Amino acid sequence: MTEYVKYVDVTKCDGCRACMVACKNWNDLPAEQTEFLGSVQSHKKTTADTWNVLQYIEHDNAKGNLEYLFRHSSCFHCTDAACEKVCPEHAISYTKYGTVVVDQDKCVGCGYCVNNCPFEIIALKEYKDKNGKEYRKAHKCTMCTDRLDEGLQPACVTTCHTGAMEFGNKTDMLKKAEQRVNEIKSRFPNANIYNPQGVGGTHTVYVLAERPSVYGLPENPKVPTSAVLWKDYAQPIGKMMLGATTMAVVGAYISNKIFNKEGKGHDEDGGGSHE
Amino acid sequence: MKTSVVSKEYQNLQKEIAGIQEKWKNRLKPEWITTKLDKASLESGIPVLALTSFNVNIPLFLQCIEEIIELLEKYNGNLSDQLSSLKSGLNDVVAEYWVEEALSLNTLYFSGFAHENHLDEWLPQFIAETAIRPYLQLTAEMVQDQVQYGKPGVGCPVCGEPVRLAQLEEDGKKILHCPRCLCHWNASRLTCSHCGNSNHEKIQFLTIDEDPASQIQVCEECKGYTKIIDTRQYITKPIASLLDLSTIHLDFIAQENGYMAIGEKKESN
Repeated sequence: MTEYVKYVDVTKCDGCRACMVACKNWNDLPAEQTEFLGSVQSHKKTTADTWNVLQYIEHDNAKGNLEYLFRHSSCFHCTDAACEKVCPEHAISYTKYGTVVVDQDKCVGCGYCVNNCPFEIIALKEYKDKNGKEYRKAHKCTMCTDRLDEGLQPACVTTCHTGAMEFGNKTDMLKKAEQRVNEIKSRFPNANIYNPQGVGGTHTVYVLAERPSVYGLPENPKVPTSAVLWKDYAQPIGKMMLGATTMAVVGAYISNKIFNKEGKGHDEDGGGSHE
Repeated sequence: MKTSVVSKEYQNLQKEIAGIQEKWKNRLKPEWITTKLDKASLESGIPVLALTSFNVNIPLFLQCIEEIIELLEKYNGNLSDQLSSLKSGLNDVVAEYWVEEALSLNTLYFSGFAHENHLDEWLPQFIAETAIRPYLQLTAEMVQDQVQYGKPGVGCPVCGEPVRLAQLEEDGKKILHCPRCLCHWNASRLTCSHCGNSNHEKIQFLTIDEDPASQIQVCEECKGYTKIIDTRQYITKPIASLLDLSTIHLDFIAQENGYMAIGEKKESN
């Protein structure tokens, strides 16, 4: 199966926010009331109903000039996703395209994924059932997996009029990113490819004009140790322990049976066991 | 969301057929095809095929047919007996007839052949048409640079196939594609390719809720329709013949709504 990547070249973005609209439109997400943040940016970060947010950053560059930086911010679809690791209900999984999706039927709204996402992307939404009981579900960008199933690119990519976003196989996109960084180095000396290896690489790869921290991104994000311990060690050991316990119970049952059979045999031989 | 009504199995068969055609097209030599193309005949809408002579290499043509027969056998075991009988009856003389009749789309000849040889009526023409397409596709490739625009109402400028498929490509350009010879040419966004009508009030678009990349352009003047697919949204662009197949539901929708694959020019006094 081809591994796909969404390639975002922030230096081509003009901040039009069409990607946000396309996402809301395709995924039927409701509008949200937001407060003024002191810039054109509409939301502080992604929410359960806004799966991608256009960041507007005023930045003083090395020459002391003001740079107005834009970034399409959405789920990174990590290869080694912390949200998937910590989910106790196996509600978060990888698709055959490498995208990370939430199964709403399995999600119990525990919020472990929210606490462990290194990029603070996934968010909980509160609902009320018909009896008025409150419950929560985790939501985030799906990379339009339903569109990928039909051979279509994600909605945000198809709507981008400046060509800042592209979707294609991983090797081609990474090559494109490398070429682009070389092209823009004279204009943006700190330009870099953001495809953090601490989470095994991501399926949304950026060409950033400045260091990741300028965009509020972790310089070297990692899957939290607690998540690794839980998924890669605690769970398998737990399963092994369960296996050992089961074996012990089965062993005890069998030996008990044998013991009883022997006892019964004495009876048949005419020996009194009641004595 | 599911955008094609065609089974995956049939799509895979057609994909393999397209692969065979591509392979055979690459084996053909351009000097086997002679076209007498001039600007006047292109402008008057005479298909390039009518001005082209083919020096078809019959043994190669027969080899191509054998490959197609093997493929059909692989996908449909029920055809084995018919395909074996067809294979044993094929020779150079029959192949020469097939080339000529396939190029002129002589349905009558092929249905007669099927009847005489106790074959399903569709089978001989399907195989002959599949085997001759590499020649048409190479012809289209050779003249592609000269074919920029088509004349409304006359179909594909190369093979004369009726127009039914367009793609929205870079910068939103509407490009008409022929699923038969794979030729493509530019068209105006608001012009009917069947009658040339450019009155925007008489051109409508039918869209399908669950199919975000497709629309059907219909003309109230001639009742013709054209499927328009925004392939900019596709991860990988399929070739025109496969795209035409996977969007066959649009043909059903257009025809159920009273539109035709070939528009009718209204007679006036």
